[in-house]
This record gives sequence, C-alpha cells and structure tokens, in this order.
Amino acid sequence: MRDDKPGAKYGRDEWAQWGVALVVFAAVPLLGKKHFVNMGNEILVMGLFAMGFNLLYGVTGMLSFGQAAYYGVGAYTVGLLLSKGVAPFWVALPATMAVGGALALVLGPLCIRLSGVYFTMLTLAFAEMVWGIVFKWYDFTGGDNGIQGIPMPEALHSPLRYYYFTLAVVFVSFWLIRRIVDSPFGAVLQSIRENPERTGFIGVKVRRYQLAAMVLSGVFAALAGGLFAGYQHSIHPDMLHWTKSGEVILMSILGGVSSFFGPLMGAGIIVFIEDMIGKYTEFWEIWIGGIMLAIVIFFPRGLIGTFDTWITRWRNHGKHAETAARP
Amino acid sequence: MRKEGRKRQVMLAIGLVLVLGLAEAAQAAEKIVIGAMYPMTGRAGRYGIDSVSAAEIAMNEINAKGGVNGRMIDIIFNDSKANPAYSIKVAKRYITEDKVNFLMGVVSSAVGLAVTEVSKENKVIFVGTDHASTALTTEKFQPYYFRVSNNTYQSAAAAALYAKDIKPWKKYYVIGPDYEYGHRTWEDFWMLLGRQRKDVQLVGQAWPKLFEPDYTPYITAILSAKPDVLVTTFWGGDTVAFIKQALPYKLFDKMKFYNYDGGGNYELLEAMPTGLPKGLVLSARHHLNWPDTKQNKEFVAKFKAQTGRYPSYAAEGAYAGVYFIAEGVRQAGTAEDPDKLVAVMEKIKFKLPEDPEGFMSYMRPIDHQIVQVQAIGETVPDKSFPPATMMLGNWKIFKAEEIIPSVAEIEAARKAVKK
Amino acid sequence: MDGNLLAAQFIGGLTSAMSLFLVASGLTLIFGVVNVFNFAHGSFYLLGAYFAYQAVAVSGVGFWAGVLLASLGAGAAGVLMEYFFLRRIYGRAGEAGFQILLTYSFILILDDVVKMIWGTDYKSISKPVALAGSFSLGEVTMPRYDLVVIVIGLAVAFGMWAAIRKTRFGRNLRAISSNREMASSLGVNVPLALSLVFGLATALGGLSGAISAPVRTVTPGAGIEVIIGSLIVVVIGGLGNFWGALVGALVIGEVTAFGILFLPQWAILFSYAVMALVLIFRPEGLLMKRGAVR
Repeated sequence: MRDDKPGAKYGRDEWAQWGVALVVFAAVPLLGKKHFVNMGNEILVMGLFAMGFNLLYGVTGMLSFGQAAYYGVGAYTVGLLLSKGVAPFWVALPATMAVGGALALVLGPLCIRLSGVYFTMLTLAFAEMVWGIVFKWYDFTGGDNGIQGIPMPEALHSPLRYYYFTLAVVFVSFWLIRRIVDSPFGAVLQSIRENPERTGFIGVKVRRYQLAAMVLSGVFAALAGGLFAGYQHSIHPDMLHWTKSGEVILMSILGGVSSFFGPLMGAGIIVFIEDMIGKYTEFWEIWIGGIMLAIVIFFPRGLIGTFDTWITRWRNHGKHAETAARP
Repeated sequence: MRKEGRKRQVMLAIGLVLVLGLAEAAQAAEKIVIGAMYPMTGRAGRYGIDSVSAAEIAMNEINAKGGVNGRMIDIIFNDSKANPAYSIKVAKRYITEDKVNFLMGVVSSAVGLAVTEVSKENKVIFVGTDHASTALTTEKFQPYYFRVSNNTYQSAAAAALYAKDIKPWKKYYVIGPDYEYGHRTWEDFWMLLGRQRKDVQLVGQAWPKLFEPDYTPYITAILSAKPDVLVTTFWGGDTVAFIKQALPYKLFDKMKFYNYDGGGNYELLEAMPTGLPKGLVLSARHHLNWPDTKQNKEFVAKFKAQTGRYPSYAAEGAYAGVYFIAEGVRQAGTAEDPDKLVAVMEKIKFKLPEDPEGFMSYMRPIDHQIVQVQAIGETVPDKSFPPATMMLGNWKIFKAEEIIPSVAEIEAARKAVKK
Repeated sequence: MDGNLLAAQFIGGLTSAMSLFLVASGLTLIFGVVNVFNFAHGSFYLLGAYFAYQAVAVSGVGFWAGVLLASLGAGAAGVLMEYFFLRRIYGRAGEAGFQILLTYSFILILDDVVKMIWGTDYKSISKPVALAGSFSLGEVTMPRYDLVVIVIGLAVAFGMWAAIRKTRFGRNLRAISSNREMASSLGVNVPLALSLVFGLATALGGLSGAISAPVRTVTPGAGIEVIIGSLIVVVIGGLGNFWGALVGALVIGEVTAFGILFLPQWAILFSYAVMALVLIFRPEGLLMKRGAVR
C-alpha cells in the first residue's frame, strides 16, 4: 500500500528529504535571529528524542509511555558529571548513551514480559518511579530544584556553536537510525511490529529483539537529554515526567510514525506551536488540546502520511478525470 | 509530479521562515519593556493571574503619570507553566526577540532558579516577585537578580520570634509538602527557634506529596502524637484540603495550627467561608487588612474594582516588582545599562502597600533581597472582605531588621557552596 | 505503639483507600471493557467536583441531589466524548498511541474549560449538617462523612459486581471485553454498550469528584493529580480488574497509613515502591490471572 514504511528504500526521494532537512537546519542561523537558533536547537533535540522513540514505536510497534525516563537520565548524566566536575562534556555526552542503554537493560526485561497496552502501562509505571527517585534524592540530584548553571566547555559557549554541534550529533544519529532500520536487524524489528507471533515461529527470539529496540531507543533518548542539558544549562525533574513522554508520542504521531522524518517534523511543529501560542493567550491548554484532538481525528497517519495520501488521491483523481474526458 | 511537490514544500518552508523573521524586526525602542512570566494554569494559576492583574494596575498607574523619564512601560506576559525548561525558553525569547529590558515574575522557586541563570548569562535584570527560595539570594545569588517579596528565611525568622515568646508551645509536629520549599521553610524556622529556646521538641513529622488530595492518615498520626503546635508549610489548596479534612477530628481544638509563610493568604480565607476555625496562627507576604494604611486600602480597593475579586498575596509582589523597576530606571536614567541599573537598584528604598506607617521597604546590597516588616496574625471573625468570614487579627509585628540573615551568615552560606 | 494508634491509622487508611477506589473503579472499568486507558479520567473527577459546586453552592440544590446531578453531568460528558471522538479511533492501526493523545487532549481542554467557566479561585461546598461531626470509638475518632464515603465506596463495589455478574447488560459487557467481534455477531449492540460503559465509568469519576468536593480543594489542575495515583492503584490490582482496583486501593491506603509512622520522610515513594514490587513479581497485577495476558 504505502511506499513510505520506515523499512522501505527511498532512493532519490529520501535523499531529497535528507538534503532538505540538512539545508533548512544549516541555514537557520543565517537568518540572523538568535531566537530561531534556540528554537532550531530545541527542535533538533526533540527531533532526536522523537526519532529514537519511533525506532521503538513506529518500527518495532512497541508503544512506550516512559521514554522521558531515558531522556531525563541522559540530561542528569550530563548535569551531574559536569556540575560535580567529574568529567568534561566530551566524556559526559557519550556517557549518556551508556547510561540510557543501561537503564533500558534494567527496565526493559521487566517491561517486555507483557505486551500491548500492558507493556505501555509498565513503561509508564517504571518511568514514574525513576521520576520519583530523581525528585526525592536531594543530595545527589538536587531534588525538585534541579541543577542549574551546568558548566559547558569554552568551545560550546556560544549558542551558535552549540547549535551546529547539536546539528552534527543529531544528523549523525539520524544516519545511524536509518542504518539500523535498513539492516537485517531492522527488518526483524519491523516483522515484529507486523506480527510478533509469526516472527517467533520462524525462530526469532522476539523478546531479545524487543529488548534491543528498547535499549537503542533509550540510548538516543538519553543522548537527546544530554544535548538538552548542554543547551539549557539547567535541568529539572520535570524532564522525566509522564507529560514529557506524552509529548514525544504526540510529536511522532503528528509527523507520522511511518515516515522516517515524520517525528522530526512533528517535533518542529510542536515546538513552534508551543512558542507561538504561549505568546498570545493564557488559555494555551485548550489550543494545544484542540490541535491534538484534530490530529487524532483527522490525521491518522500523521501530517506527512496524510499529505502523501492527499497527493496520491489528487493525482489519481486527475487521471480519472482525464480518462473520463476521453470516451 | 512528486518532485515538484517536494520542491514546493521546501520553498514554502523557507518563505515562511523569512517572513516571520522580517515581521518582528521593527521594535519600538523608547518603551521600557518588561518580560513577565507567571503560572496561569494548574494549581498556582490563581497566583499568576492575580500577579498579571496587579502588574497591569501598576503599569497603568505609572503610564498615566507620564511614565518613567518620559518613557512608557510595556509588560509582556507569558505562562511559565511552572515549568523550568519552558520558562527558560520564554526568557530567552524575551531577551532575543522582544528585547526586554527586564525579566520579572515567577512563582515556583525551581523556575526562579532556572530563570536567574538566564538572567546571569545574558546580563538582563530579573526581578523576582513571588518565589521564596532563600537560595536565590544566598548560594545561587548573581548580581542581576533582585527579589521584592520576602523569602522563606524572613518568614521563618519572624515565626521563630513569634513562637519563642509562647511558653506552652513545646511539642512541635511538622507537616508539609515534600519538596524544597516545604522543607526549607520548616528547617530555617526550627534552626532559629532552637537557638532561642532549649525546651522545645519535635514529636513527629510528615511529608506528603505536593497537592496530596487526601490527608486522613496523616491527620490520625498527628493526633496520636499529641503535639502542642502543628507547623504546616502547605500553600494554596493544600492548606484548604488539610483544614477541611482535619476539622471533624477536632484537631484545631487540640493543638495550635501554625502556617507562617503562605497560610494566611486570602485565597484560604475566601475558600472557607464556613468552617474555618478561629485562632489559627497564620501569615502571608501581604494582607488585605494590614497594615491599615491609605496605600494598602487603595491598592486592595483598586484591585477589587478592576478584577471583581480580592487579591491573593502574589498580586502585591507583582505590583511591587513593576514599581521597583520603574524606580530603578528613574534613578539610573536608563533602562539599557544593566550595571548602572544594578548599582542604583540595590539601594532602592520605596513605599509599598504592605509597609506600615513610618517604614519603607528597601533593597539590601549584599543579597538583593528586599527587607520588609512581617506580621503574623490569628484568624478572627471579620466579614469586611466577603465571602471570607474570618480574617487575620491580633497581629504581632516583627521589625524588618530582626528577621533577615546577617551579612556574615550569607557570606558563610556562599562560601560553603563554593568549596 | 498502642492499639489506639494502630486502629486510628487503619481507619484512616481505609478512608483513603475508598476515595482512591472510587476514582480508580471507573478507570479500570473503562480499561476492562472499552480497552482504553482514559487519562482524562481525572478530568471527569474535576468536572464532578465543579458540577457539584455549581449545583449545591450556586444553584442551592440539596447536597445529595447535587452529587447525583454532578455524577450524571460527568457521565453525560463522558458519553459525548466517547460518541463524538473516542469511537472514531477504535480499531485503528496503532490505536493505543491515539488513545493516549486523545484522552490527554481532553485533560488539557477540560482544564481550560473549567478555568474559563469557574475561574482559578478555590471553590467550596459544605457537607450536609448531619454529617459534619464525627463518631468516637474510645480514643479513636472517625468523621461521619468519611464513614459515608466508605459506605458509598462499598456500595459502588457491590453494585458494580451485581451489575456485571447478575444482569443481562453485565453479561454483554463481559462478552464485549473478551471478544468484541464475537459479541457483536451474537447480536450485542456493541457501540451502544461501549457508550454506556464509558458514561457509567465517567459518572463514577464525577461521583468521586463530587463527594470529595467538601473535603478537598476544588481547583483547576486537581484532576491531573489524581490520575497517577489511580493509575498506580489499577496497575497494582490488575488493569481492567474491578476487584483489583479495590485491592490495590486498600493496599496503597494502608501502606501509606502505616508507612508514615515509620518512614515519614519517604511517604511520596511508598506507592511507587509497592508498585515496583508488584510489577517485578506479578507484572499483570495482584488479581489478574497468571498468563491471562499476552
């Protein structure tokens, strides 16, 4: 039916998407507005978070409602290592991936014992527990006050430099995610999404693959969290709250979970909308809620997926019209 | 066909970005722009919405008199969502896009701690109006931060002086929300009281989560411990819920109820027109009926006239914040030179609605913390601010200088962090 | 530690448990039958509280009539939500993600709607005069109103049990929850039943909000705070299991009541700790049959 499943080879079309995404993000600072650089930075970070999440959701078909735990743990890895002076940023940022992966290795086996919505609830429950610990452990995490003034290396002090640094890290990650999806391993993940039982029948150890997907997803979420800590220089337990996990689901579904860059696009739109609406009304909740509702009802395949459908339909409609005109 | 579609998407995206960029290029330079952040949703929404109204009142008053040095004040508001990450983003946008001269506001201390970092990095003065964490003026102090409302230390110090003289208060029990504010408000008090009384003892403590809906098991535990006085560090709706649930246990007949930082807020008095017990010992950062000065009465009456409701204490903080900024700009003759502004703002002395006759609030250079009188009262029947049927009375007043940490204490706290 | 203290804590825990159960029962009911985790359940609790305020404090209806109206109002709102929105995503590919977004969007929307209508100040309604006081059993005090809450909680539990086990409607529900298509082909009007269940469950949410209005704070944002607590209760008890919600609520209520005597500093982690233990050893919850899932 669709040619835009994450596993499908895009050929030239996807290269065009990569090109557009890179050029647009690389060009943002040329507009000369610091605010756009900040927004762009946040979009990139949230985009990475969402793309990593989609590796689990869109590709493997596992809906986690606890990804904020990994994102937050990544942020706290950078925050704690830097503010306690244990390790420099260049060590701390890669360390987030190890910590995120390790957390997934601990929580993953507990979560994948159940499937479907039970799995979803387990991820949520464990993420809330991680939140509780971060919130409560004053001596270590700073508790509800969080950590401020995270000391960043001189080379990344300017927002512009940090932006390009983020851009590089995020696009390398995108490339890695693409490679993972395209690999034989990725093919197994997609077959698990389509039918876990049947995948099991052909001798695949489904749970092992599911765990691997959770670990990879946790790795990218933690990396995104680490990048965010470096971007804002402040972190807070709210980053682990379930609303954050909900946000990343929203971004992915909004953009489209079955198109590779869908989650990035969703992240861009949500970050942009949040920024705009807050400016104009105190009743932003009803707007965001209304937009979410509209997406759910009218865009079941996300914006990219729906646009594709429209384009296809329009094209076909044109063809039919032509045929009709010629008796 | 398909390729054309993509091209169009790209052009559209680039075009959109360009248009948005140009549209905001022109900004009126002559106005004094304040970027304000207050929570307008969730539990603290009342504080934020009252703060917005009060800030607007102050702005209109100042602008009606011709502004400051001929310049009008303009305030931009944005919901802080009580969320530090979001507030940082808004603060940065205020600075880079809206070119604000000042940041103002913030109810949550965690948000305050996050925003003060932005203020420091960008050298934009941040005037805190309603968050109470003492850390902002001690350990986390930075020169571009000022606070125009009392911090928890000041409330706790006044509370310790109050409790010191009440001989029967010997056995204490504390219950408060389990987060920084709840703990710090109590710990400062207990430390200061311990310095002045050796015969007090803590018979129990309880730390439910913030916004806990159900306090029943905590109440039964408190009753079993039989304290003389129950200190609570709840604020807002948590105080209301706790009192409602404790009433049938006759808890208030068996012990004194003491909430010295946020408990005496009008929102509580208003929320319980029936059933609020007499003799609760409470305070807040501003009171509708104290001090009995012309300025306070006018402030309250004006707020009521414009919004249809009486202000919670956050309102006066925001009102003070706008006047503080105006006074700073007037004295410095500029709104653009932060260092010059800091130099005059740290010596500002001005009269606020909450200042009693013969006293003016003033800023202390060492910690940029406003120094104010604190009043602690008891609930007494009083129907002058309906729908409340109880207001605070039987006031005890604590001099501003008696309730601030000494310079040596502040320096010691800062040193301890640096180590 | 004397007997009075233990008795007092036990009763306090029981009261908390019943309040928890009332919210969680609707949540688990929707999950069990409609197969939706309704994040907006707390918002129906919130609506119930505000409807009760409107009826009792503003319109001057009697207390119990107000509680009834509030429950019906919340239930009606629930039916509308199900009929106009939720129904459109049943069976859609990736339904779970859409469920989360849809119900979450209702939290946001209803929170703002409440704020627009009633403002941000705290609302109060008074208890009936007859229920204002308390009973004394020796040293132990028990508020009359809390006893009523416990009775209502038990009545709801028993009523639901009877409705599910003893009536035709209940039989249909059980059929739907085990196999929706099969039930439909056997002539059960599935869409209608789902709407009714959703309405019933949100009415329970409204009921819990309404009866908690006199003893809690009625304020925007109060809905979102009960949802995680209820989630913990239903996860402990077993998702979708009605009795599980009761057991889960009792466990959380009593663990909190006794836990605070020993570890007052760690109260906020109690429920998480219990949940962690249950999830590690019985991920399907206390009352779910082993192997029933998957």
